[in-house]
Order: sequence, then structure tokens, then C-alpha cells
Amino acid sequence: MAEKIKLEICCGTTCFMLGAAEIMQLATNMPPDLDGHVEVTGLACMNACLNENLGHSPFVRIDGKLIGNATVEMVCDELRKRLNGGGDNE
Amino acid sequence: MNSSPFVEMECCQITKDGQSACGDDFQWERDESENRHIAVLSDGLGSGIKANLLANMTTTMALKFMHSDADILQSAETIMDSLPVCEVRKISYATFTIVDMLAGSGRTRVIEMGNPGYIQLRGTREIPPFSRRTLVSKNWPDREMTVSELQMTLGDRLIFCSDGVTQAGLGQPHCKFGWRREGCMEFARKLIEDTPDISARELSRTIAFNALSINKGRRCVDDTSCAVIYLRNPRKLRVITGPPFHKEDDAKFAAMAADRDYTVIICGGTTSNIIQRELHTRVEIDLAQVKYAGGLPPPGEMAGVGMVTEGILTLTRVAALLESHSLEDAPLAAHKILDRFDESDVIEFIVGTKVNEAHQDPSLPVDLEIRRNIVKKLKDLLINEYRKKVTIQYI
Repeated sequence: MAEKIKLEICCGTTCFMLGAAEIMQLATNMPPDLDGHVEVTGLACMNACLNENLGHSPFVRIDGKLIGNATVEMVCDELRKRLNGGGDNE
Repeated sequence: MNSSPFVEMECCQITKDGQSACGDDFQWERDESENRHIAVLSDGLGSGIKANLLANMTTTMALKFMHSDADILQSAETIMDSLPVCEVRKISYATFTIVDMLAGSGRTRVIEMGNPGYIQLRGTREIPPFSRRTLVSKNWPDREMTVSELQMTLGDRLIFCSDGVTQAGLGQPHCKFGWRREGCMEFARKLIEDTPDISARELSRTIAFNALSINKGRRCVDDTSCAVIYLRNPRKLRVITGPPFHKEDDAKFAAMAADRDYTVIICGGTTSNIIQRELHTRVEIDLAQVKYAGGLPPPGEMAGVGMVTEGILTLTRVAALLESHSLEDAPLAAHKILDRFDESDVIEFIVGTKVNEAHQDPSLPVDLEIRRNIVKKLKDLLINEYRKKVTIQYI
């Protein structure tokens, strides 16, 4: 089986309050087409929220790529892109 | 004797079925300057609010009299004279057990009137008092008091209870005269034999709930209280929260997390990042239990160090739960912190004072509490309502 896509979600205070709490639900509630293909883990604050150039909370990391202003839809889209062979690696 | 054993003092109370208030009352006081600990357990006549009132008046007065070193007999007379007379029984009555302990020397005095006799256990061995005398009031000749002088030493336990414990199962074929003091003592001995380090909290709970299980239909037919005092080496917990004010202190700060004398909790993302970096370790956050997270970021584990949680939101919730004395619907991270508080005697907060810029984000939906204020609140609650020894160190 192909290696799973790694989704890391920031569990810091700011990210959590601004939307990471919803994204975390993917750990137990992944859409059927992505289920089994993604490994979801939490991440202690990356301090990305202190760097304006990186975007705004909440932050996630998908296979090492940092994504700001993350939403459940955006994360799922990015995961699908990678599952279907698209997306970049940083 | 060790110069500073911790005095773990716990009382488990179960209210008689159908009553809204417990007719037993337990109060305690700790005088840090003398390392003196006073505890009073009283069982009020009858049950419900009336009994609660009698018991509460008794514990309140007894605590005050003991603290001011008033004459024992005179104090007891004042208490008995003050209690309202029951309209039904035409008497005023509340039993009591008072324990007055100087933890530094271990010298302890136990004054009892009407309650089942206390039990002192050193390991599983019962230790008799080195002196015991009886006091009888002229005004209340039928209310005998016994005053026992005893020596407590590190590892000793003192168990005292209301008659809800010793009379549990009364009339049942297997214990016609109830569980009695002897049955309770044997049960405690067996528990200590199986778990030599059993905490006062666990022991008091197990005894009280076992008494309940002896009753027919597991009903609580009388208010049931079991208090345990355990002189133990303190179980130490260190809660580290907030980044240090000066970056130069990061290494010293991280070393505090690596101290093996303490169980460690790290509360805060930036805080855990600093410690991860300095100790070359990493945090694992398992999102599989996210359904129990209950509105807080889920807890994680830092390899070789201890539990990691988010900071401000989690500590704020912990303070609210401590205040309400309830674990109902407690989010996982807060629940785990409260469990560790329960299992600790001495709690040390290490508070980094650097302001977290991310918390100033104007788009945050609620105002975040100031870290120092929450920790101060936690300290007050843990000392005043949970009998813990608490310190705060700012860095």
C-alpha cells in the first residue's frame, strides 16, 4: 500500500480557537474517499502565527508543507490533490 | 522522623438515601507556621438538614476551640450547650472526633465523643496510644470523652469514621452487629497489604463505598463518612506554563522539566516547543481521542518528560472545574490535569512571564485570561479547597 499522506494540525491556543478544532475532527471523521489514506496527528504550536508572511491561524502541515488560513474544505482539497498524484513537496 | 512529611487528609462522605444534605460534617485546618493540622468529623443527630446543621455547628466550634488551645472539657460543654434541642427526641446531640496533629514532631491528640474509635495503622499493624484518659462533664455526665495521645510517624495512617461505616450491614445474616470497627480495620489492613502506598483519598473512598456495599441492596441507610490522615513522603507535581521572560533562561527552564523528582505537566505550545528544543525530545499528540477533547485542544506526551497540554484555555477550564468540584463533561486534557492534581500533595507552578504575542490577535473570538491570574486562582483553590501545598515560581 502507498505511503499515507501526513496531515499535522497545530494544537496551539490561537489555531485551536480560530478553526483547528474543526479540522481535528478529520482524525475520526475523514471523508470516505480519503479515509485510510491519511495519517492525522496533532502538533504543538509551531509559532507560525507569529510570522505574518506565513498567513494566519489556523495552520496545518501536509507532507511537510505549511498551510495557513486552513479550513476543513481546503485541507480536504489539498489531500485529494496529493492522493491523485498532484501537489508539491517542500 | 522526616522533618517534613506531607499530611494527606481526605474524607469520603456518602449521604443517606433520600436526603439532600449529609448529616455528617468534616472540617480541617492547617496552620503552616506550626505545621499543625486539625481535623474534626461530626455526626449530627438524625439525618438531613437538621443533622447537617448540628454536625456543622459542632465541627465549626470544635475547630475554633482547638485552634485557640481552649480547655477541652469546657469547649465540649460549650458545644453541647449551644446545639439546638431536637423537637422529637428532646435532646441535642452531635458526636465528634477531633484530631490535632503537630506534623513536625508527629505528636497527635485525638479527642472522641460518641464516634467509633479511631484506628492508627503503621503499615498493617495497629498502634495503641501511649496514653488515654476519660473526661466527664458535670453538666453532661452521660457524654464521656476520651483523649488519646499518640505518636504519628512517616507512613502512619489514622482512620476515623462515623457510625454509618461501623454499623453498615447491621442485622444482615453475615454481620448481625454490623461491620464494626474491627471489620473496617481488617479491610483497611488488607488494602494496605495489597497496596502499601495507597493514598488517603483512595483508602477513605474504598472503605466508605465498601460499607455501602455491605448494606442490604447497597442502600445508604445512614450518613457514611470515612476520614483518613496519611503521613507520607510528598508526591510532587510540577506544572510548567508560559515561556521564560529572558531567552537566556530557556535551558534552566527546560532543566526543570527534566527533574525526575517530579511528575511534570507542560501547559502551552510555545512552552513545550522550548522544552522540546532544549531537551532534544518531541511531543506526540494522538488525535484518535479527539472526540473526548470536549472543546479543548487534545493532550499529548513529551517523550521522557510528561504530559503536554495547550495552555490558557486548558488552565482556565481546570480552574472552573476545581471551583465547581465536578468532573462532569470535563474535556480530556482538563480531566488528566485534575487527575494528576488529585494524585499529588505538593504542586509547584513554574510560570514563564513572557507575553504570547499570538494571544493578542484581534481576530480571536474571546478574551484570553492572563496566565498569572489563572495560576494564582488555581493556587488559591488547591490550597483552600483541596488541601494541597502549592508554590508559584515566576521565571
